[in-house]
Amino acid sequence: MRRRPPALPRRALLAGVAATTGLLVLPGRAPAQGGNKKFDGVTLHVACFSHTYSEFLRSYLPEFEEATGAKIVYDTPAFPIYNQRMDIELSTKSAAHDVINVTFIYSGRWVGAGWTTPLDDFLNDPKKTLEDFDPGDFLPGTTAAFKDAKGGLHAIPWIADAQQAGATRYDLIEQAGFKQPDNFDQMPAMLKALKANGGPAPFVTDNHYGWTFPPYLLAFGGLIFRHAPDDLHPMLDTPEAIHAAEFFSDVLRNYGPDGVLSYSYDQVATALKDGTINYSTNNETFLVRMAEPDSKVAKTCALSMMPAGPAGRFPNVASHGWGIPVAARNKDASWAFITWAMSKDLLLRMFNEKGYSSVTRASMIAQPEFEKKLMINGFDGAKIYRDTLDLAGKGYTVYRTVAPYPPVDRELDNAIQTIVSQQMSAKEAMQRAQQNSLRALQRAGVKL
Amino acid sequence: MATEPRLDLTAVAKTGSRGAANRAEARGWAREQRRALRWGLAPALSVLALVTLAPAVWLIVTSLTPLTPTEPGSFDFSEPWQNYQQAFTSPEFVRSVWVQIELSFVTIVLQLLLGLGIALLLDKPSKLLDTVRTGFLVPMVLPPIVVAIIWKVIYTPAISPLHRLAVFLGVPFHSLIGNADTAIWAIAAADTWEWFPFTMLMALAALQMVPKEPQEAARIDGAGPVQLFWHVRLPYIRGTLVVAALFRLIDSIKAFPLIYLLTDGGPGGATQVTNYYAFVQTFNFAYWGYGSAIAMLLVAGVFLFSLLISRAGGGMALDE
Repeated sequence: MRRRPPALPRRALLAGVAATTGLLVLPGRAPAQGGNKKFDGVTLHVACFSHTYSEFLRSYLPEFEEATGAKIVYDTPAFPIYNQRMDIELSTKSAAHDVINVTFIYSGRWVGAGWTTPLDDFLNDPKKTLEDFDPGDFLPGTTAAFKDAKGGLHAIPWIADAQQAGATRYDLIEQAGFKQPDNFDQMPAMLKALKANGGPAPFVTDNHYGWTFPPYLLAFGGLIFRHAPDDLHPMLDTPEAIHAAEFFSDVLRNYGPDGVLSYSYDQVATALKDGTINYSTNNETFLVRMAEPDSKVAKTCALSMMPAGPAGRFPNVASHGWGIPVAARNKDASWAFITWAMSKDLLLRMFNEKGYSSVTRASMIAQPEFEKKLMINGFDGAKIYRDTLDLAGKGYTVYRTVAPYPPVDRELDNAIQTIVSQQMSAKEAMQRAQQNSLRALQRAGVKL
Repeated sequence: MATEPRLDLTAVAKTGSRGAANRAEARGWAREQRRALRWGLAPALSVLALVTLAPAVWLIVTSLTPLTPTEPGSFDFSEPWQNYQQAFTSPEFVRSVWVQIELSFVTIVLQLLLGLGIALLLDKPSKLLDTVRTGFLVPMVLPPIVVAIIWKVIYTPAISPLHRLAVFLGVPFHSLIGNADTAIWAIAAADTWEWFPFTMLMALAALQMVPKEPQEAARIDGAGPVQLFWHVRLPYIRGTLVVAALFRLIDSIKAFPLIYLLTDGGPGGATQVTNYYAFVQTFNFAYWGYGSAIAMLLVAGVFLFSLLISRAGGGMALDE
């Protein structure tokens, strides 16, 4: 006769009890006694677009819930969907969200229209902001976009999205007799050699050309607006702008993978980690992921500054930040969330545990661990990051934060697509972009 | 001597007054009926007015202003036609109308031909065909966003089974959605895959209603399958096909998820239909007034086309 196995072995039972007791006595893990946490019963609706950072942050949210008693409803749709949704919610003074990401490209519009809450009262209140939060630690270049006309700060930046250049197969670049290109003369020569030698597609960049193309446009001496933010007359049909568009489109068409126009930012990030594409001018956040342990190109990837053109080097830097909608109902809890998410402690943990390096705190960038971790196959990622932020500090990215920029951004998208798909010449496409931008700006009430 | 019947004026008068009373009673009854009808319909009409007409009226009103939420005071009627003027002088809008016409025409024709063709093949009593018929309905019941994701995979060369098959067969081709000449056809193919089951169902239902006698008579007279279809079955189902085309026309003008996910209106506006153009203007750039004007023009276009198609359908019905 078979012996019936015990329903729960005694050893397993004892081990379970011991483990549960251990968890409960760990500091900060014990449940609240009598429900006396500061934000018990509060539900915070937090929204950000889908990004490496927002996904990293997701795994830490239970800690905030545990510490404060607040419940977090966390929403991270794709970038364009997030922006559309938030634009409507903010413009209608919706209280649907308590904490939102203030998107760089919309910062002028959202902050300028008074749709977000000035944070200075929170920052200046020692009861609401602990001393070690140290708001002065955030790099001035990353907070500039979030200030209103009176200098009030409306968001705390969680990223400095800095454009750089990266290669997945630097070994192939060296074999072809090249180094990471420093300028736009060297770049096509290198790409041509890579293409001739076979291997992965030589070049890609994501199809948000309103973001990826301007560094080329500025480097060839072009401008987006005549003198943003004071004179918003678009300048897309100048010879310099047309030449830049032709150059950029040629690179995409001749050296991009099949279907290059449909590569969104997440596809580019995946293609880089898989090594199916060699070289890209792209965001630091995506490029450093080439060195992650699960990347197929961790041992062969390389980093460098965005190449320079005849007029100089103009990598885009965009900062996105946590803000509070003006109609939010639980602003104290919202601020508690922001100070927790942007605390030195949590950011340092995200850097060490997840590898999140697009940081906005000067104290973090200065740390030896930062330099050590961003030293990738002998390429000094930390220095490239710092130098890129310094360049952007000159203020040439201000065109992105003027309120009526989004339609111009879309026109740049369309123009590059039109040239790459050979529907129009660079001249025709940029002239059309100019005319359409003029119409859009007039529609927005801009006096030209 | 026979006496002529006397006219009983009193009786006539009584009868007359009874008739008048009956007529008056009937009129009263009709009035009561009308009143009951009016009161009975009132709640439904009120809801309809609130739910459908009020937003439509608001759309018209908004279209007469340059309303944008970032500009205080932009709800302004000083230049009521400026949005319409801007639309008609905008090459982008005009192009979007042509793209819309192209997409609608191609998808309706493809869906009608494919739906009708498959309905003819399935119009036979068979358990196997019943199962196959159910299988054909799957694309139509999938959420549109899922359909868009399926086709995104198919059209992305790096991960596409279609592209891999083409390479395997030695006939590789470039990305269909990245090419301005093929992008609209790629959208049309995906839309046809999703919606031909609808025209198939309509056609199949109509085919099963065609009476047997004329078909038998035609066969006895020596008509082949093509003649039988052309001269006997098609006239019976023509009206249904027109209705199906009308439904598909209205739906094609609302095309959105496929374009949003597959091409974002690109490359370079090659797949930007009017509906998508309105979406971009309204939701990306917050030009609510201008977007409303585009929406109004779209509604007017749909009414016009529907009228034309239903007139054509009515004519065909009379021909029968």
